[in-house]
Amino acid sequence: MGKVIAVTGKGGTGKTAVTAMLIRYLVKNSGKKYRILAIDADPDANLADALGVKVQKTIGDMREYMQQSRYTTPPDTDKQRLFESKLFEILVEEEGYDLLVMGKPEGSGCYCFVNNLLRGIMDKTVNDYDLVIIDTPAGLEHLSRKTIPDLDILIAVTDESRRGLTTAERIRDLAREIELSYKSLFVIVNKVTSERKAAVLETASGLGLKVIGTIPYDERLAKFDLVGDPLMGLPDDSPAVKEMVQVVGALGL
Amino acid sequence: MADEIKLDISPMYEGERIRKDDLWVELGGPKADGFELSLATPMDQIEDGKVTVVGPDIGEIKEGSTIPFGMVFKVGGEKIEKDLESIIERRNHALLSYISGLMHLNQRYDIWMRIGKSLKKKGVTSWTQIYKPVIDLYKAEMPFIEKMEITIYTDPAEVKKQLANAMAVYKARDERAKGLHDEDVDVFYGCTLCQAFAPTSACVVTPDRPSLCGAITWFDGRAAAKVDPEGPQFPIAKETAIDAIAGEYAAINEMAEKRSGGEYTTMKLYTFFDAPHTSCGCFETIGFYMPEVDGIGLADRDFKGATPNGLPFSTMAGQTGGGKQVVGFLGMGILYYFSPKFLQADGGWRRIVWMSKGLKERVKAGIDEDMMAKIATEDDAKDIASLKAFLLKVDHPVVNGVTRKVDSKKITEGWKLDEVTDEIKEKVMAYIEKTGGDINIDTVKSELALTEGQFMQVVEALQADGVLE
Repeated sequence: MGKVIAVTGKGGTGKTAVTAMLIRYLVKNSGKKYRILAIDADPDANLADALGVKVQKTIGDMREYMQQSRYTTPPDTDKQRLFESKLFEILVEEEGYDLLVMGKPEGSGCYCFVNNLLRGIMDKTVNDYDLVIIDTPAGLEHLSRKTIPDLDILIAVTDESRRGLTTAERIRDLAREIELSYKSLFVIVNKVTSERKAAVLETASGLGLKVIGTIPYDERLAKFDLVGDPLMGLPDDSPAVKEMVQVVGALGL
Repeated sequence: MADEIKLDISPMYEGERIRKDDLWVELGGPKADGFELSLATPMDQIEDGKVTVVGPDIGEIKEGSTIPFGMVFKVGGEKIEKDLESIIERRNHALLSYISGLMHLNQRYDIWMRIGKSLKKKGVTSWTQIYKPVIDLYKAEMPFIEKMEITIYTDPAEVKKQLANAMAVYKARDERAKGLHDEDVDVFYGCTLCQAFAPTSACVVTPDRPSLCGAITWFDGRAAAKVDPEGPQFPIAKETAIDAIAGEYAAINEMAEKRSGGEYTTMKLYTFFDAPHTSCGCFETIGFYMPEVDGIGLADRDFKGATPNGLPFSTMAGQTGGGKQVVGFLGMGILYYFSPKFLQADGGWRRIVWMSKGLKERVKAGIDEDMMAKIATEDDAKDIASLKAFLLKVDHPVVNGVTRKVDSKKITEGWKLDEVTDEIKEKVMAYIEKTGGDINIDTVKSELALTEGQFMQVVEALQADGVLE
């Protein structure tokens, strides 16, 4: 069973950029030690764009396909097997990692059966990788529906404001409420100015949060983000990329 | 002849994915034709243990390519009948996956396989080296297979030709499966998947009665129960029916009592009245009884307007859902409309008086032909009064009483006036005077809005009054 890491945080904190940088770092520097699956579970963000990958279809599309096809599939079709194959069809196989996009939420009607199939398939899929990295919105939607299996590590990405850090605290409460199990909760503070760094760390420790990375505000990263260039092309010596050494070390990778 | 190679074979490799980086050859899948077929074959036409390759062998295929692929398994044995073909074929997925370095997905004409580079490293050069052990696996797992022969097709033209043959076999199989009825099986399946939303819902899935949500057929129940008999889908040994027409079975009653936490002790499969099936939360359609016409209306989730009883789908679904047994309302799946047992105890289609137009169009192939024009939609009737007029005009069975198809028993009396009022008496007298006693039933319907039975009811009352002789 692989390690499952979810990266979450409010919009604007750079959560998706951090996720992409983490994947980028592991692909470039871990020497193919890990089979990596990236899951984009945030419909508002776009991990695929940040990774520079074109995605045609999502898990949501395939779930709809399953809903529609139930009237037409041959009677003895094994639907779990059909769904499994459809999900393999939309798996984006990239150099050093694979990507799945959750896509749109379900429509009206009953999704009990198809979501139950999805849970079974996702459990199996996750077992096929050493490392699963999930970009998930602060509401933890797919995790609460259990369509994504339990976590080893939950990472909250925040900005340097006090409010940002209290968001991390709230995510911890929400995880408890939806009975999401994880072994560790870490915080990565993004876009930190050098003069605020000490204060940020102090606030975090006051809230009982463990900070595993402080990513300095990075001009080049902001530029990449602005023009929509994939972060895979970031130079190795950019301060944000360099900070990933810390993060990866703290994650035990 | 290629040398035999010891492959790594174990159930622990089932579900192994071959990633693009590890790919040697890809077979079938979204980019190429592919199929698998098992054929019950007479023993004397099988050369046991033989593997034939038609087209390029695996050693001749360029690394990383995707090719069309077909595999035909001829199986024979004293106990092997046509019906076993698809059961044997479905085992392909697991047994082929037991081979380390081989991935198998999906089924029939949708198969998608990948052979990993690890098998190339092992020295595999021929399909024979992969498929000979498959024959042994089959015989070990299914001892009723006495002889087995495999043909592998990789020549593109040959794959196309053989695929066309296979399609005809699948089609014939599907026809047989569609002809499967409740009488033909010993086991039904229960489903409690939606108890999270509908705690007392205890769904029963049979060949003639798919689930309310529309997602689970009897075949799905069988597949799921096989994987995990303790899971949300479980077998129910049906045994003899208490009432075959209403679909009452002791085993189902027991199951309903247990799974509903004692809420319901009786649950019948093919009826609307007296202990109907529980309704979950998100059934595809709802049926509603309208006492004014003694008939049943049907609306689907997409119908947003009000039905003739004044209620929209959402209101009725809200009252019925949650795993309740509500006499007069019933959640139903789309596929149930195609069943020969569709509400058979209540008269089936002869009892249906109204349907939302979208639903009627969608299930028209399932509606009894003689009833097609007699079922109103929102275009014909928006309330009870206009529905009554429509049913009178088309001479719907509910008007004069429904005789149910299944046993030709008359189950409803037809419309009766609760009370013969003076107002009706006057109208009927005026009509009789106008026509000079020459009664025409069509004008009774159109001018008086009465059925023949109701007209006679008034005439009898007038005779009792001494007004008529």
